Amino acid sequence: MITPASETYLLTRAEQPGSHTIEVFKRLGGYAAIEKVLKQGISRSDVTTEVKNSGLRGRGGAGFPTGLKWTFMPDPEKDPRTRYMAVNADESEPGTCKDRVLMREDPHGLIEGCLLAAYAMQLSAVYIYVRGEYRVPYDRLQAAIDEARAANLVGENILGTDFSCEIHMHKGAGAYICGEETGLMESLEGKRGHPRPKPPFPAGFGLWGQPTTVNNVESIFNVPFIINKGAQWFRGMGTEASPGNFLCGISGHVNRPGIYEVPLGISAETILNEYAGGVWKGRKLKGWFPGGSSTGILPAEMISTAMDHDSIKGVGSMFGTGAMIILDETACTVRASRVLAHFYDHESCGQCSQCREGTQWLYQIFARIEAGKGEVGDLEALERISKQMAPGKTICALADAAAIPTLAVLRHFHDELEAHIREGCCPLRSKGEGGQSQSAQEVHA
Amino acid sequence: MTKIILNGREIEADPTKPLIAACEGNGAAVPHYCYHAGLTPVGSCRICQVEVKEGERPGRVVVACRTPVSEGMVVNTESPAAHETRRECLEFLLKDHPLDCPICDKAGECTLQDVTYNEGQSEGLTKEPRDNFEKRKSLGDKIVLDQERCILCSRCVRFFDEITGKSQLAIVGLGSRSRIETFADRPLVGNYQGNITDICPVGALTLKSFRFKARVWNMTKKSSTCGECSRGCSVSVEVLRKGEVKRIRPRFNEDINKWWMCDTGRFALDGANPTNRVPALVRGYSGLEAADSDDAVAMARAAHAAVDKHVLIASPWVTVEEGEGLKALASSLNTEALFLSPAANDLKDDLLHTGDPCPNRRGLEELGFVGKSAEEAMELLAQAESATLFGERIAELIGLDNLKSLPSTVRTFVFDGSSGAGLLEAPALQAVVGIANWVERPGTWVNIDGERGKISAARTAPSGIRQPSSVIADLLHTSEVAR
Repeated sequence: MITPASETYLLTRAEQPGSHTIEVFKRLGGYAAIEKVLKQGISRSDVTTEVKNSGLRGRGGAGFPTGLKWTFMPDPEKDPRTRYMAVNADESEPGTCKDRVLMREDPHGLIEGCLLAAYAMQLSAVYIYVRGEYRVPYDRLQAAIDEARAANLVGENILGTDFSCEIHMHKGAGAYICGEETGLMESLEGKRGHPRPKPPFPAGFGLWGQPTTVNNVESIFNVPFIINKGAQWFRGMGTEASPGNFLCGISGHVNRPGIYEVPLGISAETILNEYAGGVWKGRKLKGWFPGGSSTGILPAEMISTAMDHDSIKGVGSMFGTGAMIILDETACTVRASRVLAHFYDHESCGQCSQCREGTQWLYQIFARIEAGKGEVGDLEALERISKQMAPGKTICALADAAAIPTLAVLRHFHDELEAHIREGCCPLRSKGEGGQSQSAQEVHA
Repeated sequence: MTKIILNGREIEADPTKPLIAACEGNGAAVPHYCYHAGLTPVGSCRICQVEVKEGERPGRVVVACRTPVSEGMVVNTESPAAHETRRECLEFLLKDHPLDCPICDKAGECTLQDVTYNEGQSEGLTKEPRDNFEKRKSLGDKIVLDQERCILCSRCVRFFDEITGKSQLAIVGLGSRSRIETFADRPLVGNYQGNITDICPVGALTLKSFRFKARVWNMTKKSSTCGECSRGCSVSVEVLRKGEVKRIRPRFNEDINKWWMCDTGRFALDGANPTNRVPALVRGYSGLEAADSDDAVAMARAAHAAVDKHVLIASPWVTVEEGEGLKALASSLNTEALFLSPAANDLKDDLLHTGDPCPNRRGLEELGFVGKSAEEAMELLAQAESATLFGERIAELIGLDNLKSLPSTVRTFVFDGSSGAGLLEAPALQAVVGIANWVERPGTWVNIDGERGKISAARTAPSGIRQPSSVIADLLHTSEVAR
């Protein structure tokens, strides 16, 4: 179910029947932005400037300003190398599934965004790296590219101008690490998705050593709206530092999990209660992840925090992908942490010593505590290991993604963890139940 | 060159190389596993932590192998923060390491062991069970892999990718399940496999021929030069308790072999460790009999004085110094100085092996020696009255059957580093004198490109086996007297 925000634009087309076809897309005003840019002869730098002025921040997790990122691409006059963009559609952060909706219901919107980015940065090709499990979005997107090509919107001399751009699709093979921008590029090149050390940064040395920019699907999806309606319109939504709407995927112990379009800066409580229908089964809220599993858990008291990059950072977590995960009062934080730690142990690429061994170590300790075999000193060990893994001690941020939630759970749920070790079972359950938490199982099912 | 301040001292650093190279070259070596000067740096082991200050920015701890040097950079390799980060990293590296140093061949030269001692971390903090992987995985006929000891530095993977150009190893599996394997479990191939055991920083890759053969601290190492082809790779000859050569390993030489050597040279242990050596055999009433080598040399002297038509053939293993003596001997015998030049073998490749089995070809040719094949040598020998065959492997290079076919009218004297047992039936043979081989004597070889390589005595020759230089001196002295 999709509930409208004060002004919505991201999902308005997606609600129409047949929204994934070029016919419906054009009828709803699609491809107007690229047509406007090409027919009116708006310069390439003006497109970049408009995106930069809009203040659009990347929706992939780090929240880096998209327009600023584009300006990092070297000047084609001075650097004649081939230039690429990779669209990161390897959406694999636990809790996050916003890009899936966009690609499945509104693939032409993404294509138009790609064309505008290609025009602004003089790219010769755009690669869309789609998560392998996303079969329907992949097929829809491929069909949309074919339709657009037939309509002279992809390929050589787009709309009769001298602007040409190819869009290629690539299917991921199920590795979380390929959602890291340099891991994604390695994977696109046909290698193992081992993230590259930075520097050099992708804008200088990216795909096949050429200048490359990597953007999230939702970031690119925003671009045509900004070009059509202007940066000022965009700044009218959201906050000063984080303008615009975002897609909030809310999951876990709520009555109506789903993807909702909301303005940045809306309080998390509003999303939980008014959009997602509140915590399920009349239970109380225990904790929540603001933006996917890699962002530190926050306690129930902080639910009134505004959902934007700076506010969430202010309470010691990260906005991430804006995918909220809600845990109710019956959820066991040890079990939830164990499940997440297992995910990071499973998905670490194994290059850096700290990450390879540290993610496994965290998992082993959480699993031991959950099984009632926790020991005195385990919580100190968790903290020590997490601090030795992050921040910035490894090639990419996967170690941080495993360590930061661990530190957060230690900070906010220390007493529960301690009780778990002391009692040798989950304090929320009697011993007979073996610490099994029904609801926690459902969260991660 | 870029000026940086390293541990309070201003030094010049090569801007094309990462910071770790500048540290290494200026007496401030930083521990490292994945970094190897001959391979692309990947920055994955994270142990080479140093503290760096650039401009006004506060100091930060970075990995030295992925940090470029910049003008005025202030580097501290010994700061408490750098050591602390290294210790943290070490804890992760040791988490699943089996710590079986007492039975590990690498113990004593293992950098994981060294760094652990240096950083003073004596106790592991993990209580978790260690990973179980394959402990002795055969990677073909030369190498064994212990996946539990492996710290996944990927040097071996990059060696095959970058140096030999034929990828053979890969890291398979993700995260803590990562391990080294060959593609499709195929055995390793090629003539350069042994190098991966040298660059392996731990005891994960070991040579089948060296496993459980020696403790590295019981071996003495001597710089020398490989004699298996005319490349003359710089090597280190390692001898166990003054006895057998247990290992031959490459020694860094920028101009010739860098860090590498081929397996042909590495496994040439049989040539270095000949069996059944005797000081001398001379022809007596019942064929060849054991004798004192002085008597054998005296017989040769007498023969040189007695007849006129002489042939002298040196082995291509003869050093420049010995060659000078033999050249003088040849001129005193009024004969041309020759050396045996076998045909090229099929081991030639693009990396190191030249396919020419003569380590001192260029040195001998520069002295005026003329190369002859075994067939040409036999034609000359058949017409001679006395034959002097000098240097290690000479009998083998001419061919034992060839020597046996010489008529008894050719008074033949063989001065060889291996045993004379195979020659017992040769009717022409008057005496065999055992001489020191390439791991028992000093000297110089000149390689294919004119680079001079030193060989040296890694051990003393067995009792009664003489140095070739002293044998030549004796032969020369009497040759002159006889005139």
